[in-house]
Amino acid sequence: MSLIRCFGVLACLLPAAAFAKPIAYQGGTAVMGEYGAGNMQEFQVFYAPSYRWSLGAAHLRLDDEDQTFSRDISYVRGNLLLKRWNLPRAQANVFAWGGVGSASGDGFEGHKAAWNAGGQADYETLRVYASARTDWQYAQDAFSHRIDTVQLGWAPYAHDWDRLATWFVLQGRTYTGGLYEDVEPAALVRLFRNGSWGAAWVDAGVTADGKLQTMFMLNF
Amino acid sequence: MIRSLTAALLAALLSFTALAQDAPHTIEMRVDGLVCAFCAQGISKKLGKLDATQEVLVNLEKGMVAVALKPGQMLSDATLREVLTDAGYTVQGIEHSAETLDQVRSRLKAAP
Repeated sequence: MSLIRCFGVLACLLPAAAFAKPIAYQGGTAVMGEYGAGNMQEFQVFYAPSYRWSLGAAHLRLDDEDQTFSRDISYVRGNLLLKRWNLPRAQANVFAWGGVGSASGDGFEGHKAAWNAGGQADYETLRVYASARTDWQYAQDAFSHRIDTVQLGWAPYAHDWDRLATWFVLQGRTYTGGLYEDVEPAALVRLFRNGSWGAAWVDAGVTADGKLQTMFMLNF
Repeated sequence: MIRSLTAALLAALLSFTALAQDAPHTIEMRVDGLVCAFCAQGISKKLGKLDATQEVLVNLEKGMVAVALKPGQMLSDATLREVLTDAGYTVQGIEHSAETLDQVRSRLKAAP
C-alpha cells in the first residue's frame, strides 16, 4: 500500500489530519527521543534563539527489519520555520532542516561524512492535528535512507494549558534503502502536560506488527 | 479657610492617585495561532520576564492572553504586540480592564 493511499485512509477516519515541531518557542530548549518499532531510534536536543530557527545535535540509529544491517549517525542540524499561518483557533506551519554528521555501520568501512535534510508541514487546532514529514539521511557510497511519516491526531476534549491534553494519533511511515518494506501503520496515545518547569509529552503505541512505537519530548 | 480647602483637595487627590495605583490593571489580548501547549509555555515565559508583569494567564480555548500588571506599572500596547509577534503569533486585539486576573479567568471559563 502506498503512503498516499495510507494517508487517504487515515484522512477518512478523522475530520482532519497533525505534530512534534523542531522549534518549540523562542528561547526554548527541546529534548526529544523516539523508539520507532525497532527500525529507528533517535535522540535530539535543539535550542531555539528565535521562533524561526533552532540549532541542535542528535544521534540516530537505523536497523533494517531483518536485523541484517544498521547505521549509527551523529549529526548537527539547523531547523527553519519557512512559513506560519496563525488562524483563529488554529495554526499551520512549514519547516525545513538540514545538517551534517558522521556515520558508521554495516556495508562500509570506518566513519563517513553523512548529510541529512528534511521538512514538515503541519496543521493543528485544539482538537485535530495533521502532519506530513520527510527525513533523508545520506552518505556517499554508503547509504541513502528516507523516512516519511504522516500523522493524524484527534483530541477527545479541547485542552487548556493547565490541563492534561490527551490525543489519539494514527501514524503511517515508510522507510527506503532496505530498512522496511511497505507502509508501517501505528496507533498511539499521546499525553501532554505543562508545568512551571516546562512542558512534556509522551506518546506510546503499537505498529500493525505489534512492535512498540514511542516518543517523548521535553521543552524548557 | 482657603488653605484648609486646598489641603483637603490635595489629600483627596493623593488618596485617589494611591487608590488608582492599587486598582488592578489587566491587559487582555486576542491572539491567533494559539493552539498548542508549547505556545502557551513560550508566551507565558516571555511576558513573565517583563518588569511590569505580575502574572500571566493563557487561555487556549478562547485564544486569549491576559497580563496582570504590578501596582503602578504600565505596559504599552506596542510592547505587548511586539512580544507576541516576536514569539510567532498574531495579536488581533488588546483591551485594558480593572479586573483582577482571577476575575478574567472566571469570566473566560464561563464564556461559551
